Amino acid sequence: MAAVSTQTKFGKVFRPTLAWIVALIFFFPIFWMIFTSFKTDADAVKPEFLFFFTPTLENYVNMTENYDYWRFAINSVITSTFATLFALIVGVPCAYAMAFNPTRATKDILMWMLSTKMLPAAAVLYPMTFLTKNFLGIYDTKFLIIVVLMLINLPIVIWMLFTYFKEIPREIIEAGKMDGVSTWGEIKDILVPLAWGGVASTALLCFIFCWNEAYWTVRLTTTDAATLSKLIEGNRAPEGLFFGRLSAVSTAAVGPIIVLGWFCQKQLVQGLTFGAVK
Amino acid sequence: MSDRTLPRLLQTPAVILLLIWMLVPLGMTLFFSFIRYVLNSLRRPEWTTPSIENWRGGGNYSFVWNNDGFWLAIYNSVFMVTSIIVLTVLLGLAIAVLVNKNFPGRGIVRVLLISPFFVMPAVNAVLWINMILDPVLGLQGLAVGGLSNIVDALRGLPVLGNFFSLWPEIEPISFRATQTSAIAVIIMVTWQWTPFAVLIFMTSLQSEDQQQKEAAILDGANAWSQFRNLTLPHLGRPIAIVVMIQAIFHLSLYAEVEIVSRGNGNKNLPYLIGELSTNNIGAASAAGIFAVILANIIAIFLLRMVGKTLMD
Repeated sequence: MAAVSTQTKFGKVFRPTLAWIVALIFFFPIFWMIFTSFKTDADAVKPEFLFFFTPTLENYVNMTENYDYWRFAINSVITSTFATLFALIVGVPCAYAMAFNPTRATKDILMWMLSTKMLPAAAVLYPMTFLTKNFLGIYDTKFLIIVVLMLINLPIVIWMLFTYFKEIPREIIEAGKMDGVSTWGEIKDILVPLAWGGVASTALLCFIFCWNEAYWTVRLTTTDAATLSKLIEGNRAPEGLFFGRLSAVSTAAVGPIIVLGWFCQKQLVQGLTFGAVK
Repeated sequence: MSDRTLPRLLQTPAVILLLIWMLVPLGMTLFFSFIRYVLNSLRRPEWTTPSIENWRGGGNYSFVWNNDGFWLAIYNSVFMVTSIIVLTVLLGLAIAVLVNKNFPGRGIVRVLLISPFFVMPAVNAVLWINMILDPVLGLQGLAVGGLSNIVDALRGLPVLGNFFSLWPEIEPISFRATQTSAIAVIIMVTWQWTPFAVLIFMTSLQSEDQQQKEAAILDGANAWSQFRNLTLPHLGRPIAIVVMIQAIFHLSLYAEVEIVSRGNGNKNLPYLIGELSTNNIGAASAAGIFAVILANIIAIFLLRMVGKTLMD
């Protein structure tokens, strides 16, 4: 151990300094967005007010007026929440069965589920528009967005839950069975307390992915079900751009998610690499 | 109820839902790719309804295949995906190794580093292309302008001024132009996905065999040879996974391409399909099938890799 703990000058001074510089560079665009959100639109484009200006909350106060922010935000909250909820309702029993009663087919089913995630969305864009517009009549409804968000995240949800459930020792479940606990009791009294953490972080991650989704939510909505992704994408025009108010609405759209994300860094690795990196 | 029935029953809803989600739209795309199907046609109104009578065989495929725009889109897709992957992996490795040791404030550094990954793609693109990269109002424009002013002032100096007159005039770069719009997409996506690579490599570094490292240090191995011979092989699998996951995600880049320049100079395969979908559904579907094939080639490798660790 002695050999490793010999700290060189590099280790003591240079490494932390460099790490901090890199971290600040990466965070800078986000900082700049938050910083600009406190400038008026006029100040935001003037070089003389680049760093020193009179901060104002005007952009946040007028967010509803300028962008109708809350309508989009509420749509985002509703669609992401229900999509996550339904993904769990469908995913938990499935992952449970796969983890505790694996058959020879389980691995293949999991692989196949993952492969549905890899289908390029653009390839099925028109059929989806056609089906939902002309055939089912659910184009631009929250219901449609909930279903689509649920389906695109279902493989990841099942996969994450599966890796969590697999870690639970089977002996505990077996012991419960011996004591005559019913299947429902088994789930309620043994599995849920043990798997609670895993289910919660899966839900959190699923919610983040739903919130940030920018292909289907933009392409399958016009007004009624439009989410924050659509709001931002609609205000991309360079001409007559209002940096102050755009920063405010962007900050409001990503702020809560970044904070949520900080709490599930570890789960993110598992969720995104399908348990292949530990 | 037998032992097998309940587990099967529990899996059924998920399997059926995903089966429908995969088969129905993809089946329709496959069908449309073999027929003449356009949304508006005054000359041939019969083509505006999808029907087996408008069978075109491989016609849509050869139309797409022989279209210069298609190859340009493939080129742009591959160029952007490859550049992003190379940059994120190199940056990710460097940063992960940098923050792997303990130092004051490491927790905060981690939190700051991971943040870009949670920014929604639309905000990422709007933020970068307008507030940072814009040649007039963005920070790039302001920085270049400021630098030019300083150089101009220095040129006025006696003696030294002659030296500074050799300094080339620099102009801010417009990142919405045909030649540069792909670069803009690469910059913003690299910014967003480097944290992902860092996070994965860091997780993996934590499971590195420390005893082996100590032995190497006692044997007098320097930092580079430690990295080269121990750390890099250990990171082999995580690197492969980062590469493949990113390949799959970035092959469907859309929001960034749309916001930066609406496909001018950075039109990739998904964007081309989107454009074709405004009228020529047959061709769009054929291009879609090509996209599926492209994604599948990568997916097969990824699934194999993930599958290995599945049951242990």
